[in-house]
Amino acid sequence: MIEMILDAAQMLIRLDVILIIAAGLTLGMLVGALPGFTTVMAMAIVLPISFFMDPILGIPFLIGVYKGGIFGGSIPAILVNIPGTGASVATTLDGPAMTRNGQSRKALEIALIASAVGDFLSSFGTILVIGIIAMVALMIGPPEISAILILSLLIIVVSSSGVFAKGFLMLLIGMFLAMIGQDPIGAMPRFDFGFHPLQAGIDLLPLIIGLFAIPEILLAIERRKSNVVDARQMRPEGERLTWAEIMSCRRTILRSTALGGVIGVIPGVGQVVAAFMGYSAAKNASATPERFGKGEINGVAAPEAANNAVNGPTMVPLLTLGIPGDNITAIMLGAFVAQGLRPGPQLFQDQGVLLYAILLSMLVACVLLLVIGYLLIPLFARVVGINKAYLVPMMLLFAVAGTYVYRSNPMDLYFMIAFGIFGYGCRKLHFDVTPLVMGFILAAPLEYAIGQTVLLSRGDLAGYLVSSRPITVTVLVLMPILIFWIARRQRRQNRHVEAAGR
Amino acid sequence: MKNIKATVIGAIAALGLGAGAATAEDFPNRPITMIIPLGAGGSHDLNARVITSVLPGILGQPVVVQLMPGAGGQTGTAAAAQAQPDGYTLLFTHNFIDQLQQHVTNLPYDPNEDFEAVARVNTAQPILVVREDSPFETFEDLVAYGQENPGDLTFGHSGNWGAFMVPGLALLNEVGVDANLVPYQGGGPVIQALLAGDLDFTFAFPSVLAGQPLRPLLVVGEEEILDGIPTTAQLGYEVVTDIGVMHRSVLAPAGVPEDRMQILRDAFAGLNDDGTYNALMGRLGENTLHVDGPEYDAMRRNQAQRYQELVASF
Repeated sequence: MIEMILDAAQMLIRLDVILIIAAGLTLGMLVGALPGFTTVMAMAIVLPISFFMDPILGIPFLIGVYKGGIFGGSIPAILVNIPGTGASVATTLDGPAMTRNGQSRKALEIALIASAVGDFLSSFGTILVIGIIAMVALMIGPPEISAILILSLLIIVVSSSGVFAKGFLMLLIGMFLAMIGQDPIGAMPRFDFGFHPLQAGIDLLPLIIGLFAIPEILLAIERRKSNVVDARQMRPEGERLTWAEIMSCRRTILRSTALGGVIGVIPGVGQVVAAFMGYSAAKNASATPERFGKGEINGVAAPEAANNAVNGPTMVPLLTLGIPGDNITAIMLGAFVAQGLRPGPQLFQDQGVLLYAILLSMLVACVLLLVIGYLLIPLFARVVGINKAYLVPMMLLFAVAGTYVYRSNPMDLYFMIAFGIFGYGCRKLHFDVTPLVMGFILAAPLEYAIGQTVLLSRGDLAGYLVSSRPITVTVLVLMPILIFWIARRQRRQNRHVEAAGR
Repeated sequence: MKNIKATVIGAIAALGLGAGAATAEDFPNRPITMIIPLGAGGSHDLNARVITSVLPGILGQPVVVQLMPGAGGQTGTAAAAQAQPDGYTLLFTHNFIDQLQQHVTNLPYDPNEDFEAVARVNTAQPILVVREDSPFETFEDLVAYGQENPGDLTFGHSGNWGAFMVPGLALLNEVGVDANLVPYQGGGPVIQALLAGDLDFTFAFPSVLAGQPLRPLLVVGEEEILDGIPTTAQLGYEVVTDIGVMHRSVLAPAGVPEDRMQILRDAFAGLNDDGTYNALMGRLGENTLHVDGPEYDAMRRNQAQRYQELVASF
């Protein structure tokens, strides 16, 4: 295997390979930074270009677009509080606060480093233990997904800031909103009040753009200041990240990477869950949890490292079994087969060197992401220095255009505006909308997985879980203990803060 | 932005393939939009990327893919039904969205009144598969077990009234087996569940099969695509042969002027003469069994009838 990896490395060290990955990263980052444009769209559009390239160029190009796009999604989340995808929702907990404190550049830089390190380590680990991950991935079915999703919902509720009842209420509203449309198992329309557009359900993008961007725009108008950041500063993007600050996030990044790597075996929602788990874990472990939510640098590093650490394991079912777990890996599969490479056990024997070269290109892409991100960040960071008279209308334009361009459905615009007004009310009444978004994102897969589990159990749910689902039973047994432990720590920390306040 | 990008790529493709001659009455003279009522990354998306990189060379105009997923394909189909019938908006869909959904839900459009076929682009024949270590060596084994133990077999499919549930249900009806149906979100997760041992059988498209520890038992449709594996046509399962195959088709909103329709139909027929198109489709593991619009319209009316009977039986 070592020999194969060395041969693969030789294949990769070529100027054109490096340049094409860099081009992919830049493209992905720019597209990802625009609200409404998803990484999947960018990849689908460039896919035909890769058909006509050599495999060692075409597939790393797509990997570049993929990794660039994921990081790009964090840029508007940090700068203007508009998360482009579910994966960057957790980044809005501390990212925009850092921007308001005049630290936008610092926030983007720590996000970049956390993303690249998390991704690099998880890809590296994946290459080493790809066989083991492939085996574990096969053990994750609907019952395990249900258990893990229930656990993450509970963690989100107990670790959300502010009043518990408020967070819980928002979570329930989010879960209810996700149920509008067709039920996932029987495809029966529900809660649509006989109104056809509601039958398609509410999409995530109008919901998050509405809840995050519109209140941000309205509040910016209210503040009656000419700049989002205080204009008296010479450099509105603020100072750069220091080495000491990177080192202070070291533990957070490693912890999030480990969490993300484990959660990465869950297809589909892995990134969203990982980002929140990473954030909660960092807050729990911190000596100063009260700083989270107010612009804590660890609060940006934690979700960013975690959601990127998911990337390595997600590729495993694709490479070892030829099974795409989500849309991104489905496009990768298309790129592979169009090159005449059919991923699966056979491919590792026939084309081992090429396959390792592709795996190694994931590592190269992480390193290049650091370089390109470092060069582009000053450009992005300067956005917040734009005079508010221009910036606010631009944000509104991006919010509206981003919502519409996603799937050209005018209904989405009405939803976006309705959620915008709702989100504004929530901000004024100090309701955190994050549990709502999480409930919305996780409810549909949870309901689906539970429905599948019940069907698989054929009426004897307990018997089925005990007899053939050891992982599910373990998670379910450990769940109350873990939740109790987190809740107790949380309460003790709150008491500390109160005591310090007095 | 997305559209602009797609246009630019389309334009580059058009230049690369030597922009086709402008047609007599100047149609098309601007980009054509092809709505896909499904999400990014699926097999329709991949097929469309091949089509739209070759078609501009024939039509002389870029073809822009517009993904409009939602409500099991109804959102995009409704948008196409409402579009101007000027030949500049097309719908790239498949038979289960097109003809089956009218029998299971209320649609804001009538598939047969509101659409006319431009072409059937290709077909995908589902293959019934079990695990390599499964006790079922042949399709007869599976049926015999299923008949003796009603409700004991677990059949996973890729989504309600989708490409695997329809042939599965039709087949189970024809052999008189009662199975436990479990939906999954797409063809990938369902194969993973089969490999993990959660299911007894499912279907897979040929492109997924190679190199997997799977045993094919039966091919749906008429073409013998796997050596030594019987087809439903050979075994005499008439209904599933007729309605179980996925037909990827391009439709236009009803009322497109006859001459424009002819240009579009000729363009899609012309794809089959293009080397790049055939090579790329071959690499994706797809066939290029083209059927012209009027002939496919007749097939659609037959599908509608059969699906009504199938849904009534469920």
